[in-house]
Amino acid sequence: MTEATAKPRYNGKNWQLGMPDADAYWIDRILFDVQHKRPDFERFVADRVAYMAKIPLPQALKQALYDNDFGQMYLAGANPYLIRAHCLALRIPEDTFLDSLRAVGPVHG
Amino acid sequence: MADITGVFAATHTPVMLNFPDAVSVADREAVYASFKELGKRIAAARPQAIVIAADDHLHNFFLNNLPAFCIGAADSYETPIEPWLKAKRRWLQGNAALGAHLIGEAYAAGFDPALSMELILDHGMLTPLELAGVPGDLPVVPLLVNCVQPPLPTMQRCLQWGKLLREAIASFKGVERVCFLGTGGLSHDVGTPRMGMINEAFDKEFLRLLREGTDEAVVRYATDNVNLAGNGTEEIRTWLMARGVAGPGARFDSFFYRPLTTWYTGIALAEWQQVCD
Repeated sequence: MTEATAKPRYNGKNWQLGMPDADAYWIDRILFDVQHKRPDFERFVADRVAYMAKIPLPQALKQALYDNDFGQMYLAGANPYLIRAHCLALRIPEDTFLDSLRAVGPVHG
Repeated sequence: MADITGVFAATHTPVMLNFPDAVSVADREAVYASFKELGKRIAAARPQAIVIAADDHLHNFFLNNLPAFCIGAADSYETPIEPWLKAKRRWLQGNAALGAHLIGEAYAAGFDPALSMELILDHGMLTPLELAGVPGDLPVVPLLVNCVQPPLPTMQRCLQWGKLLREAIASFKGVERVCFLGTGGLSHDVGTPRMGMINEAFDKEFLRLLREGTDEAVVRYATDNVNLAGNGTEEIRTWLMARGVAGPGARFDSFFYRPLTTWYTGIALAEWQQVCD
């Protein structure tokens, strides 16, 4: 994504996408593997940049994963249940998780 | 031929197990007591097997292979699959013959479920069973419906599934008494900017329509309003299945409802009671 590319916005519905696109797929792939595969979890926790080196995601979305920016993952169409489970698996504090989502939501977004 | 001796629906959420202290003691005890009541009602129906409709929250299934409907036909199921769920890892008894029967009857009636003989059940199945105290040796048949990743099957189709299951369970010769439990809902958001918001008005109208409304009215309401009530609310598909299983003569008894924002969910439990002829 470049500065010229419009970021997706919160649509006020249950789902950002009616069908996942390739970016959503790759975020979901990471969230799923890190949750369910112990070696992936350990590699991700040790070095997120290296973990994602070969994954074909735009830099801005990789940055969202580096930064625990769950709101941006959500806007990009990542599956909300996988975002949720990722936060539980990584023991992200509930407030951090909720604040990140709410920052892109109906009140703030 | 099997009798359907109990039809139930109940909310599930992992936070009931993972974050018990997120709600007041009074709220927690009221919710836990309502699940104990569910357990008592299930026990009173003396089931020899229980068919449970829930959603797989992208644990068994992923974007590489995502069935709209999947029926389990295994002799046992490990649970839970979530490494982060605060529940003891254990095995539930299955009823492979009943699962296989339901798959066969579904195909014969023009429905096309996937099958699985190696599901590891997630909190959607486990939480209600755990809190209700349902013994692990009561054989389960899981029926997983996609409520978590669009495109989703329609509300109408889920009601049709329930009606199909009513016939299919009744024609099973392997046991005499079967219960059905739909789990999920009511209004809640998971992993969205609205998480923590509950649409109590939606929940109450949905429950009213389940009690008083026609099939058409309840399906129409669910379809048209689910986007106002949250992505987790998509799980009411399992309640529509339960309605179909219960049949037109059943009396809907919604015996617990409480919206709890710090458990993120409009929590509801219900039974469809057969009215004696």
